[in-house]
This record gives sequence, C-alpha cells and structure tokens, in this order.
Amino acid sequence: MPDRSLRAIQQAMQQCLTDGDERIRSLIVGTPGFSIETRLGIYTEAYRLRLIDALGDAYPAVHTLLGDEGFHALATAYIDRHPSHFRSIRWFGDRLATFLADHPAWKDTPLLAEMARFEWSLRGAFDAADFTPLTTQALHDVPPEHWAGLRLVFSPTLQEPCYFNWNSVKLWQAIDAESDPIPPQRLAQPETWLIWRNTEQQTRFRSLLVDEAWAMNSMRQGQDFAAICDGLGEWLDEEHIAARAAGFLHQWLEDELVVAIETGNTSP
Amino acid sequence: MPSLPSLGYGLGLRKEHYHAILETEPNVDWFEILSENYLVAGGKPRFFLERIRERYPLVMHGVSLSIGGTDPLDRDYLKQIKALADTIEPHWISDHLCWTGVEGINLHDLLPLPYTEEAIRHIVDRVKQVQDFLGRRILLENVSSYITYTDSQMSEWEFLGAICEQADCLILLDINNIHVSALNHDFAAIDYLEGVPVERVQQFHLAGHSDYTNYAVDTHDADIVQPVWDLYEKAVERFGNVSTMIERDDNILPLETLLNELDQARRIGGETIHSELNSHA
Repeated sequence: MPDRSLRAIQQAMQQCLTDGDERIRSLIVGTPGFSIETRLGIYTEAYRLRLIDALGDAYPAVHTLLGDEGFHALATAYIDRHPSHFRSIRWFGDRLATFLADHPAWKDTPLLAEMARFEWSLRGAFDAADFTPLTTQALHDVPPEHWAGLRLVFSPTLQEPCYFNWNSVKLWQAIDAESDPIPPQRLAQPETWLIWRNTEQQTRFRSLLVDEAWAMNSMRQGQDFAAICDGLGEWLDEEHIAARAAGFLHQWLEDELVVAIETGNTSP
Repeated sequence: MPSLPSLGYGLGLRKEHYHAILETEPNVDWFEILSENYLVAGGKPRFFLERIRERYPLVMHGVSLSIGGTDPLDRDYLKQIKALADTIEPHWISDHLCWTGVEGINLHDLLPLPYTEEAIRHIVDRVKQVQDFLGRRILLENVSSYITYTDSQMSEWEFLGAICEQADCLILLDINNIHVSALNHDFAAIDYLEGVPVERVQQFHLAGHSDYTNYAVDTHDADIVQPVWDLYEKAVERFGNVSTMIERDDNILPLETLLNELDQARRIGGETIHSELNSHA
C-alpha cells in the first residue's frame, strides 16, 4: 500500500470490515499461533454480529416473521447497503421498512415492511424527548371567537401515522405476547395507526377512522380548526362537523398528544 | 496518586438494573453511565438517570468520540456531551484511545491505532480541542486489540503515556483489556502497568473476556478471571486507591451477582492498600 498515512490505514481497515477488502493484510503483523486471518476475522465477524444484533433488538417481530435464517439474510443485505452513520447503534436500522418495500427479495411480502414501520415507530416513541402535555382544560380556555384559527402543536413522541393494508398490528401483538401465531391477512379496509408515548413512559397505539386520520394529518401539517371543519365535509353532514372535530381535539388532549394550542394568528 | 479523590467501588449502570437500584439502594459507591444512552433529553433512560443521580455519584463514559479517527471531530456530539455533563454533573468524562470509523461511517467498534509519532501528534491535538471545549480534562481508556500494525514504532503503553503527557489528559486503565492484549500481542501485562505514568491514572475497569487456545477476545460478558484479579492487585499496588468499577456490557447478570463480584474487588483493593500502608509504616 503506497499511502501509509493514519487516514489511509483507517480507510483500508474500514474497507476490510465493510467490503472484505484485503489491502490491510500487508500492514498487519501475524504470529504462528494467531494468524493475520484470524486476527482480522475477529473484527469482521464482530462488525456484522453487532449490527445484526442491533437490528434484532429493534425488529423482534420482523425477526419472528422471517425466522433466524431469513432475518440473517435481510440484516446482512441491509448492512451492506446502509452501513451505520449513527453515533448510537440504537438508531441503526432507520431505513429497514423502505429497504424491505423496495428490495426484490422482500417487496412481494408487503407485510414485512409494515411490521418494520410499526416497530421503528414504537422505538421512536419510546426514545423521543420528554414533553408536558396540555389537559382538556386548555381547550375549554380557548374563547369561542378564537376557535376558527386554532392550531395544535403535537407531542414529540407522536410518530408519523402508519397506513397498513395488513393485520400487522394484530400480528405484532400476538408475537409480543408470545401467544399462538395468527395468519397474516389483508385488511378489507386500510387502517391508520397512531403511535406515541404517554407521560407514564408507556408506548401507546390506536387505530383511527378515516375522518380522524385526515383531521390529524391536516393539523400536524399546520392547518387550523376552520380548515379541518371544511375538509370534514367530505365525510359528514354540515350539522355534525363542528361537534365531531371538537371531539377529535378533546380525545387528542386526553391521549396526551398535544403540547400547545396556538390561536394567535387569527385573533380578531 | 490520581488527581481527583477516589470514588471507591462502582458498577456500570445498565437498564436491566434500574428498578433494582432504586428499590434496594445497593452498596455501590458510584455508577458509570454510557453517555450515548442519555444524550436525548427525555424518555425512560433520563427518567431513571435523574433518580439514580439523586442517590449516587456518576461518571460519564463514551464510545463515539473517535479521538484517533481522521474525520473531523464531531462538534454536535461534543455539544451533546457537554449538555449532558452540565445537567448531571459527572465527576469525570472518559472515552477510548481508538478510532471508530472514517468517511462518516460508524463501525461501532473500538479499533486500535498504529503506535506512531504521527498518530500521537494527531491525537494530542484532538484531545486538546476536546478538553478546551468541555472545559475539563478527559480520561482515555486502553482498548483490547487483536492486531498490531507493521508501522507501530513503540509499545501501547508508551503511546498512551506520551499522549496523556503531551495533551495533559488522564487515564482510565482497563485491567482486563491489558490482560487480553498481552495474550494477543505477546507482551507481559506487568510491563504495561509499569510503563503507565502513575499520576495520570484516574479510574480502573474490571471485566470478563473469552479465552481461546492462542488468544483472547474481550467480550465484557463473563466473570472476571483470576489472572485479571491478580493483575488488579498489582495495579492497586502501583497506582493506589483508584476508583474501580466492573464493566459488564452483555449477558447482564442480576445486580446481586455483580455486587458479589464488586465485593471481591473491594476486598482485594482494601487488603492491598492496607498492606502497602503497613509496609510503608
């Protein structure tokens, strides 16, 4: 190896671990009882095992669905495609759902990508920063004339809603409880799932009906209460809209999903 | 003698023990936390950390500094470490004398360095930057290793000593890692101990490893073996009453079992210091 600077040595060693590159061999001292191959093998094996273990920790249900061998094949392919750029190994695996959805070997089993999405969201909710939720009293304190311009700020633990076509959550629950396996099933109607953490440090999830899912998404994108009411016309009669929309907000506060109510922009 | 007073006998804080620690308040003098597990301000880890901190002294131990790496120092990481230190006020902050990846990749391993003058200059400069930023001296820990680079010009202890002298930083001496590396690189562990500057050693780690026929692998997942206890005794003779802790990273045992192992460290440490005092009386 012509360049033997510290950086060149580190690049060669790294490529040995990630790609099996052999240039580093000429820069290592071996001994009769402990060959260069065995020495480097300890590092290359540990590199993969550590990352496979990290994926197994994050995705126990995907692991169960695929079995040991199948999960090992998935983890290996993922590690080759997306080496870790994370400080904490706990964050490694963030793109597994997309990887599963796009990869020829797994994309024909869309349940796997859904399960990965769900498990990563559970972890996201668990790891998110602390927060102080508002109580429903905050909603009662909003003067009637400010309701139209009311916007919500949601808890940092609230994850992107998951849209599922399969019974992924039921399967996850069965796997998590180690109860009898249930068969994967395509749902008659797609479901939207909300995942977050409450102030008792418990991870929560529940499914939403289509109108609540739409309202939640719109409010997460910064739309105000008047816009939500307009949009709900898609599903509801005029006379039921305001009560239904207010009911959503009430429920979100009960669920500890809201950290602030903003009404400032449209004050009369 | 170390520059800060000894904290006594500690354990690595592991999430498996959170409840047992708070419920039983075990006889542990202090805990070492893995900094990376607490960088996000919130969630369960910080919830438990806050409560444990009310009862026990803490020190911070990191794995991501990559002080020997050739990518630029990660300023965001340092800011997070500083913010955590400002919140939990650890007695000290440590990381490893190693590199962890280049070109933005983290190999999540503590990789050995070539022991060269080039590496010393590079690392001394980085340690100074880190210490300036954190406003305190850091401790560097010796890692277990399985390879020696052909370019190395000196022993590991000469390398470690030179960096700490030139950068004015401190040492976290992992007794198990010395034992493992001595087997793998065919040097005498005692030579390592005798080559380390006494006044720089601030903390000891004790841990277990896996033995193979011609080499050993540091796994930090097993009981401490007799040769490591023997080496620890020698270390206490040389370095005195240094803060000692048991670091178990995998195959986490019930707290009670680790407390028994910690008692053994206490016994060896206490008896050795006692006999040293007597021999000097």
